Amino acid sequence: MHLSKLNSVDIIDIGTGNIASLCSAFKKINVPYNLCSEVSDFRGGKIILPGVGAFADFMNKLKRKKIDQYIIQKSKEKISILGVCLGFEILFSTSTEHRLTNGLNLLKGDFDIIKSDLLIPHVGWNHCEFNFKRNELFYDIENSSDFYFTHSYILKNYEKKYVTAFTRYGAKFPSAVNKNNIYGVQFHPEKSQSKGLRILKNFYERC
Amino acid sequence: MLKKRIILVLTFLDGVLFRTKKFIPDYRYTKNFIDLWLADEIILLDISKQNRLSKKFLDIVQFFSLNCFLPISVGGGIQSLKDVEKLFRQGADKIVLNSITYKNPSLTSKISKVFGSQSIIQSIDCKKYIKKKYKVIINNNIDTGLEPVKWAKIAIENGCGELLINSIDNDGSLLGYDVELINHIVSNVRVPCLALGGAGSWNHFLELFEKTQISAACTQNIYHFTNESLKSAKEFLLKKKILVRQ
Repeated sequence: MHLSKLNSVDIIDIGTGNIASLCSAFKKINVPYNLCSEVSDFRGGKIILPGVGAFADFMNKLKRKKIDQYIIQKSKEKISILGVCLGFEILFSTSTEHRLTNGLNLLKGDFDIIKSDLLIPHVGWNHCEFNFKRNELFYDIENSSDFYFTHSYILKNYEKKYVTAFTRYGAKFPSAVNKNNIYGVQFHPEKSQSKGLRILKNFYERC
Repeated sequence: MLKKRIILVLTFLDGVLFRTKKFIPDYRYTKNFIDLWLADEIILLDISKQNRLSKKFLDIVQFFSLNCFLPISVGGGIQSLKDVEKLFRQGADKIVLNSITYKNPSLTSKISKVFGSQSIIQSIDCKKYIKKKYKVIINNNIDTGLEPVKWAKIAIENGCGELLINSIDNDGSLLGYDVELINHIVSNVRVPCLALGGAGSWNHFLELFEKTQISAACTQNIYHFTNESLKSAKEFLLKKKILVRQ
């Protein structure tokens, strides 16, 4: 691994949310990062798509700034992309949050609200059952580890072969995916202590 | 399975860690004292009498953000969307609102639309006035006349994602949580609730988790803030079949 040859990570920053927490995490693991709020800010490195807030609002902002097109283009150029929480959700086809909205459609699947007999949002530490062994994002992380979740929508109508981890909240739902150079996690690695930091390091070094 | 959470609540008076409301401040304890590896979450509250959310406090928030990779919730005197943005920029993951939702519910609703309801904790300070009857207090001593469940539902309608239930009577007593109050609220709402006020021993955590459907136990007791004590607390709870993160 020639770390010196790796670029900085391009983190998409369009205003809302806990970007500072993500930056703290990258500082901790000594990974250079670059905040991108316009297409011209990108340096061509791996892309982190974070996000808290609402699906439609976030998607609109990406579109207005044409960052959606940039991401889609880079995904075709085999640049690795990691979606975190809402950033994970917008990798998929649609979400019903507030109103039915299209996502980036890099992966097939639809987000819908968690079943109503459970407390919403799903907040706290929950386990991830890793789905297959060749999973670079979870390299050197023990199966069934706990990660920090906070979300109200879960993935439905997905392609099972791309699911790399499942989590149980009432029913089982996909908490991590990987299709070629596209990666996504429903939980917050930047808030999941050493195992979460390891995921960010793995993404930078191995994905 | 979702784990029950143990949350450390740290209150700061003019930028210095303050033990708990009924105690005299003890300035020997600073943020450096705390090893948070086994904590599940941290709440930082500014309880300064004036000039809240000052640079001193914001520096503390940043210190925690740079050093603790777990969820950090921050509150104390939030008055505007600007305050909220400021706190997120310093590294807050969630914000804790209290009286502002009473004074200006539309602001809470606006914050929720921008940052999402999962990023808002509504703190509810409750005081018992007759047997089994509680009322909501704001700004330490102003009686709103509101019944806690009624108030909780208004806060949820305005977009808060979690409730922090604080028993004013039990706060600092170290005599245990107010299980009756907590059950009353938890059984009437559909958002995760966090309990605060009264934790003096591991048995109080156990009693809370066994007798209520609470999502998290919060403690302000400084002696709970070492990794060894958190470790023994969690081992104790696991032995008693309470599912916590190790």
